[in-house]
Order: sequence, then C-alpha cells, then structure tokens
Amino acid sequence: MKPINRRTMLAGTAATSVALCTPAIHAAEPKVLRYLGTAVNEGDDISKKCLADTGIKIEYITATTDDVAKRVITQPNSFDVLDTEYFSLKKLIPSGNIQALDARKIKEFNNITPVFTKGELPNGKKIGGQGTAPWKVLYLDGPKSTKFSPTPTDYVTLIPTVYNADTLGIRPDLIKRPITSWAELLNPEFKGKASILNIPSIGIMDAAMVVEAMGTYKYADKGNMTKAEIDLTMKVMTEAKKAGQFRAFWKDFNESVNLMASGETVIQSMWSPAVTKVRSQGIPCVFQPLKEGYRSWASGFCVSKGVSGAKLDVAYEFVNWFLSGWAGAYLNRQGYYSAVLSTAKANMAPYEWDFWMEGKPAAQDIKGPDGSLLEKAGVVRDGGSYNDRMGNVACWNAVMDENDYMVRKWNEFIAA
Amino acid sequence: MKLASNTTARLQALPLALVLAVFFLLPLAMVIMVSVWDYNEYEMIPAWSGRGYSDSFEGCLAQLPELCTILRTYAETVKLCALVWLLTLLIGFTVAYFLAFHIKSRTLQIALSLLCTIPFWTSNVIRMIAWIPMLGRNGVVNQALQALHITKAPVEWLLFSEFSVVLALVHLFSLFMMVPIFNSMMRIDRALIEAAYDAGASGFQTLRDIIIPLCKPGIVIGSIFVITIVMGDFITVGVMGGQQIASAGKIIEVRVNALQFPAAAANAVILLGVTMMIIVGLSRLVDIRKEL
Amino acid sequence: MATPAPLELIAVTKRYRATLAVDAIDLRIPAGTYCCLLGPSGCGKTSTLRMIAGHEIASEGDILLGAANITTLPPAARGTAMMFQSYALFPHLSVRDNVAFALKMRGIDKATRHRRAGELLELVAMSAYADRLPAQLSGGQQQRVALARALITEPQILLLDEPLSALDPFLRVRMRAELKRLQRELGISFIHVTHGQEEAMALADLVVLMNAGRIEQQGSPREMFNRPRTAFAARFMGGHNVLRRADQQIAVRTDHIRIAPTHALRARVTELEYQGTWLQANLALPDGETLIATLTEQQFDAAPFGAGDEVGIAWDDDAAHPLV
Repeated sequence: MKPINRRTMLAGTAATSVALCTPAIHAAEPKVLRYLGTAVNEGDDISKKCLADTGIKIEYITATTDDVAKRVITQPNSFDVLDTEYFSLKKLIPSGNIQALDARKIKEFNNITPVFTKGELPNGKKIGGQGTAPWKVLYLDGPKSTKFSPTPTDYVTLIPTVYNADTLGIRPDLIKRPITSWAELLNPEFKGKASILNIPSIGIMDAAMVVEAMGTYKYADKGNMTKAEIDLTMKVMTEAKKAGQFRAFWKDFNESVNLMASGETVIQSMWSPAVTKVRSQGIPCVFQPLKEGYRSWASGFCVSKGVSGAKLDVAYEFVNWFLSGWAGAYLNRQGYYSAVLSTAKANMAPYEWDFWMEGKPAAQDIKGPDGSLLEKAGVVRDGGSYNDRMGNVACWNAVMDENDYMVRKWNEFIAA
Repeated sequence: MKLASNTTARLQALPLALVLAVFFLLPLAMVIMVSVWDYNEYEMIPAWSGRGYSDSFEGCLAQLPELCTILRTYAETVKLCALVWLLTLLIGFTVAYFLAFHIKSRTLQIALSLLCTIPFWTSNVIRMIAWIPMLGRNGVVNQALQALHITKAPVEWLLFSEFSVVLALVHLFSLFMMVPIFNSMMRIDRALIEAAYDAGASGFQTLRDIIIPLCKPGIVIGSIFVITIVMGDFITVGVMGGQQIASAGKIIEVRVNALQFPAAAANAVILLGVTMMIIVGLSRLVDIRKEL
Repeated sequence: MATPAPLELIAVTKRYRATLAVDAIDLRIPAGTYCCLLGPSGCGKTSTLRMIAGHEIASEGDILLGAANITTLPPAARGTAMMFQSYALFPHLSVRDNVAFALKMRGIDKATRHRRAGELLELVAMSAYADRLPAQLSGGQQQRVALARALITEPQILLLDEPLSALDPFLRVRMRAELKRLQRELGISFIHVTHGQEEAMALADLVVLMNAGRIEQQGSPREMFNRPRTAFAARFMGGHNVLRRADQQIAVRTDHIRIAPTHALRARVTELEYQGTWLQANLALPDGETLIATLTEQQFDAAPFGAGDEVGIAWDDDAAHPLV
C-alpha cells in the first residue's frame, strides 16, 4: 500500500512543482494535465522531468485514497488524469466517469509486465489472484462499456505504473528470533505490541492472511469474503483485541513509522517506504517476507470521461512518457516496482538493478532518488528479488461485494 | 417607533442569518435528506430508504441485553465526553477562579489567559505525535516512574488508552471551558462576595451559594463547547486511543470513506440528535439568553 | 434585638502600601447613636467604616465594641452588619432568600430562616415582594431589602456605605426619614458614611467630619454647624463665610451678615439670586475677599439693592467664630 496521508508534506511539494514549472513558456498552447492522485507517484522530480522531456505541465491534485475515489464519483470534470489503484475500479468504472484507453496507442503496452496482463511472472510462474487482481479489471468489453472483460481487449481501464508486495514489518532487535508466518501477528508473545492498519478494506485482508496462517480457516477468496467469512475473521480479530494483543491501530504513514520507531509495536502491517523511513532513523526494522506470501497492490493511470481531442492526445503522451523508463527507474529506486521493467532497467545502473530487482547484495551504497543513503553496501533487500517477492503474492487489495457489511463489522470490531 | 426599530434590527441580523442559512441550515437539510436515500457501492440513489438508519442499529434488539455496535460506541463516546466534561469543568473553573479572583492586574490576567492557549500553538498532528515520547512505553513518564522505583515495568495504559484520550482532550479543551467561566466571573460584582462574607459565609459557602450559581451561564456555554467538540471528535480519539476506541465521529468517517454517504449522513443525524439532547438538558439549567 | 454597645476606635490607622488612608483616629460612638462619617472623597471615611465592618483590617490601633476587641475578627463575628453602597443583593436569589442568606450560612433550618426573613421584610414593608428577584425591584425597594438583609443577624451596629447615593433626590429624602425611624425603633447604632453635609445633619446624633485621614471635628449637627473649629469644617458644613481678619481666620454664617447702606464695611454686589425663602447676595470686599450673604425676603425688601451696587455690611461680634 502507499502512503496516503502525506498530504501536508506533498501538498507543499506539489505547489512548488507548479510554481517551478510556470516560467517555462512554450510557443504552442501549453500542455497542461490535472493529475488527481495520492502521494506515491506525485513528486517534484517527476513533474519537472516530465516538463523537460515532453513540455507537459502536471498540476497535482493530492488527496487520500478515499478522497480520490470520492472526487472521481462526485466531480469527474475536476481532473484529467487519475492515479488510482486497481481495487477502486470496481467502484469507479460503474459510475461511467472513467474512459477506456486504447491499448494500441500505448507504445509499451506489450512490454508491461505480465503480472498485470496475465497474472504471471516474466518467467511464466502464476501468481496469487485473490482479491481485485489487476488482470481481472484491466480490460473493458468495449470503448464505452462499464463491464470488465475477462479476456484481453484493446480497451484498457487503467495503465499500470507502480505496484508492490506488502507484508509485516518487524523490529528484529526487540523480537530476537526469526519470524516466518503471518500467524505471529496474533502470537500472545507480542501481546500489546502488535498493530494492523485501520483501513477496513486492507486491514481485513491482513487479518485474513493471519487467520489462514493460523490454520483456522481457508478462504475461497480473501478479497471477496462471504458474510460468514467476514464474521469469522472479525471474531478472531475481536478476541485478539479484547485480549490486548494490539497496542494501537494505525491510519497513516507517519503513525506507522512512529509506532515502530518508538518501540510501541514490534510487529505490524506496514508499507515498504515506512520500513525504509524507520531504518533511516538508525532503528532496525525488517519488511519481513512470510511463508504465506504477500498482499499486493498496484496502481496506474485512468483518464476522466471529460477528456477528449487534443487533451486526450496529451494524456496519451504523458502515459507513454511515464512508461518510457525514467519514471520507472525512479520508482524502483524507492523500493516500488515499475510496470515496464525493460525501460526502467535501461535507466538504472546495473548495481542498482541487481539490488532492487535481482535480490543480490548491494555492490555499493544504495541511494534513494533524492540522494539520501538508503542501504549500505553488502545489504540484501528484504524479501529478495522481484521474482521472489511478486512471485509470492497471495492476494491483492480489493473491494468486496459485501463491502458495506464488512465496513459495519469493522466498526463493530473497533467498538469491541 | 417600535416597529421601525424592529425592522432595523431584523435588517442588521439579515447578513448573519443568510450566512447561517447558506452555510449551515442548507447543508444540514441536505445531510438529513441524504440520510434517507439509498446507496450502492459507488453512488447515492435518490430514493427513499431507511437503510442508513436500520443498518446503523443492526442487531440492537436481537443482541439485547448485550449492546450493539452503535449503542456501545455511543456509550463509549458519552463516557469519554462525560469524563472530559467533568475534568475540563474542574480545571477550567479552578483556573478561571484563580485568574478572576486572585490575579488583580488586568495585564497579568490577559497574559496568563494567553498561556492557556499554548496547546493550540502547534498543529494537531505534531501535538499528538509528541505524546508518544512523553507517555509511550519508553517515554519520559515511564522512565521517570521506573527511575523513581514507583513501577518496575513500563505502565502500558499511559498511551493508546482511554486515559490518554481523556488526557489529550482535557489538555486541549480546558481553555474552551475556562474562557466563558472566566467571563462570567468577571461580571460578578465584587461587592457580592463581600456581602456574603459579611453575612458569615465561609469561602466554600460563598463558592457554592454565590459564585457557582452566578457562573452557571459560563459553565453552560463552556460545556456546550466541550461537549459538542468531544462528541464529534474522531481524530484525537483515533490517534490517542491507538484507533482501538470507537467514537461516534469515527463511524461517520469510516462510512464516508467507504463512499456510503447516506449511511454516513444517517449517523451524522443520530450524532446531532444525541448531542442536541445533551445540550438541551444542560441549557435547561440556565437561560443562556441572559448571558448574551 | 441585641444589647446595644458603644464602639470605640483607638489610634486606628490604615495604610495601603505607602499611602496613609486613616491616620491614628480616636473615636467613641455611644450605644444607640446615629453617627455619620462625613467628608470629601478620599478622606478615609470609607476605610474607617470598612475597618469597623471587618472588610479591612486596621494596620494599627484597636477597635472595641463594648468590652470586646474586634479589631481582627471576621465581619460576621463582630456584631456588625454592613449595607453596601450598591446594595449588593444576590441577583440569583429571591428577596426572601437574600434576606435569609446570613441565617442559611449559619445552618439555620429553612422554615425558621424564612419566618425571620418574613419578619424583617415586614419591618421594611417589603413583605409583598418576598418572591421577586432583585432585578424586578426599584432602587428604593432594593435598599429596603438590603436593610432587612443586614439586620437579620441582629447586629449591635449597622454600617451603611453611602446608602442614599444611588437614589433620586425625592426618594433620598424619604429613605432618609425611614433610616432614622428604623434606628430609633431598633435602638442600635447606625454608622453611615456620606459626603453630603445636609444628609449628615438631617440624620446624625453624632457627625464625624473627616479630612485627609484624620477627624477634623466631631459633635452634634448643631455644634458642627454653629461652632466650626477649622476653615475646612466651616466650608464643608456650608452656610459660612471664612474671612481673614487681622492675624486670624473667622467664620461668619451667611445669614448673620447684615446689609445696609450705612454700614462702614463697604462691599460690591457681584450677583444677586432669588431662591424663594432666601435671597443670596455674592459680595466682593475692596481687598478682593468674597463672601456670601443670605437675606430673608423681608430683610431685602426693607433695603433693596441690585447687582453692581455698593452696599455696607456688618455682623455682630458674637456671630464671628475664630478658627484654628
């Protein structure tokens, strides 16, 4: 999952980027795109590079995941390009506010990692498809359709850009023993020192990973539970909560960092950059690979139904630029994965590619896109290579058919 | 004459009335309207439906005598609210009393009142994050307690507990209680206190029979501030309660974030109703108009 | 009511930081006396009253009530009660509860204290208003309630801080008479602070004139008026001309100045006012001294004159009081 509540930080960044872009006057009509999204892909560096390469000026509209969805449904004309996650498509597409993109106009479409198009690794290994897996919602029946197509068509809902595999973060210095299973989250050994995130749709999937790992129940689809399954999952969690297992739940990026960094929790669901941030404070923190696999998420670009003509061309140009390599390398260096691996690889140093994608020990110090030191030479990435991590995805962030019921049950869980 | 001055008064009140109508009454009417609409995964359906309400009270009859989610949530919220109200009242009253009756200099009174606004000098987020190094497992308080050998192991309930929620809320809102009470106290004719003393009243009797009754309007206004804010709060309860404590406001937030606007609106209406009942009950104690 | 007792102040001094408000005054007020503390603002009369009441503690000196030294006792333990300038009625309590307040503080049961309050309201003719709030009463009614409230503790001395200053002139005269009547009926001492010499003379058995923290002069109203000891007293009591004669000052009552063309001392009439019972003539002597003469209409008609005229003035020797 991505940091959703860095609004304050990134609103500032977005404003700066707009200000910086203003003096660049182009002879032709200025190419401007209003870009609605959460923080993850929005950065000063990306918008500056985009302006330099293509002359397209990006105006960021930054919001939380939930607020982005609200805006798409209630104000479809307030943005051109939407940066959102696949799971939200089940809500957004039926509203008719998103237009299908033509796959033939996406230059690198055929080079997009088969994780998205076929649900398998480049080496052909099938990956877990529970939840709202991207390939289930990638295609539409027709250009104006609001129905998903199970088989590939030319009408694409959302061009993938970035994704990752999430797991539990742990404090190895405080736990002092190997952690290998999601079941450890509810291990009484960590009573009062565990946490999950308080976003119902994601929290319940982490909970489901735990329930399965404990051997209590095996779900047909963790991303689309029946009412009975929701009840069962929440019962397990409620008992743990009442027993005092959880120190706190967290809602935003900084909360998760603070909980881990202060030692209030030693094991919790977490996001990759949050783990990096804890580590950058000199505190040991591991994004722990677990035998049951990862919960994955993926996001990319949609275009509003209100965009047409020259503006639509600009939107295609922007999407094509994003997949052309520079941005992909930029995301890979943050610990995310890029959708088109080949172009990103061409924009990264071999040692960087080896560390981030191949799971090899860092040949030299690994720096983030901003030049800050992330890992010292010799370190191996948590979870290893791209194939090891994405190959072990068990489920994808999802919106359930019983979402309404699930949300109510989640409230009940919090009130318990 | 009377008629003319009435008209003038009405004209003068008009701009404020318009602002209230457009920015308060209209949205409120819309919330109430939406609360009886139907909804699906991604949109509101403008057709009558009691679903927002019936879902909210799901299982409330069936689960009896055990409380259902919403009743338990409201019980929790009302409990926190009552605690915060009581503590802010005690602290606000004491501070106001000290400022009004023991500080003679007007300048010093103002300076000390400004000190009470210190909690508002930092942003909500920073302030709440700052509680972790203070109250956390390895925080200042726990280290001090262990250094003084008062406890052996860190005290866990200092943070992410009802205690920390109440502490943070009291820390924030004592000012809202203090200011109106201070205002009421400053209006009390000092001769009344002398008269009570003359009549043989002890300090406590003066407080009970003169000062507290005359501060009632301030107490009620301060209480309204504190109760309305605390009843609707979900951010402080969320962060300080480690997101483990349910609050009436949180239910609404979760519903809004799940795009279930009618359900959120229904819960907002319920919250409004409960808060209004508490306020009306309080207002009965005193005629607020006298104070205004 | 309680046995009346005399009040005695012995070298009582009050200092507020560097300011000396009351400077070692000695005063004895016999039991059952209506005493007025008279003087201009800032003369120390209110501080003196508040020290007697116990709302200020004397910096030095002693205050005795009967045989008891009450200098440092709290107000309610002194046998005094105070009626405040603005009445200080409790706005949230009914008239009855205001009057009964002191008894409630003593823990007396409701029935008893309400009965006593009823008696006192009867005394001040306010029984009909027992259930009202102070804000629903007129100024005069509020004052009666304040009186009743002060009297319910059966004080030996009632202290009144400028009790009439908030009333209009008509009501003031009426309330004045009532205060006097009450004092007579109750037989206790009233100590009444005022800056109005007329009020003091109308009410008091004993007038205590204060100036700059000291007692300038004390005595019965007639003594005070007819034998002012100092120029200040003569001027403050009114009705006197203060004149410099040879090496000393003298006071002559304005109505003891005689005007006739034949008198040797010449004066010019600067102004002539007709005041009904009286005519007042403002006069200027050749050396610049000014004085006032009041004449009856009869006296004036016998030898009329007008503003600007030169007249002769004279007074009897025994009408001139030497001042210290």
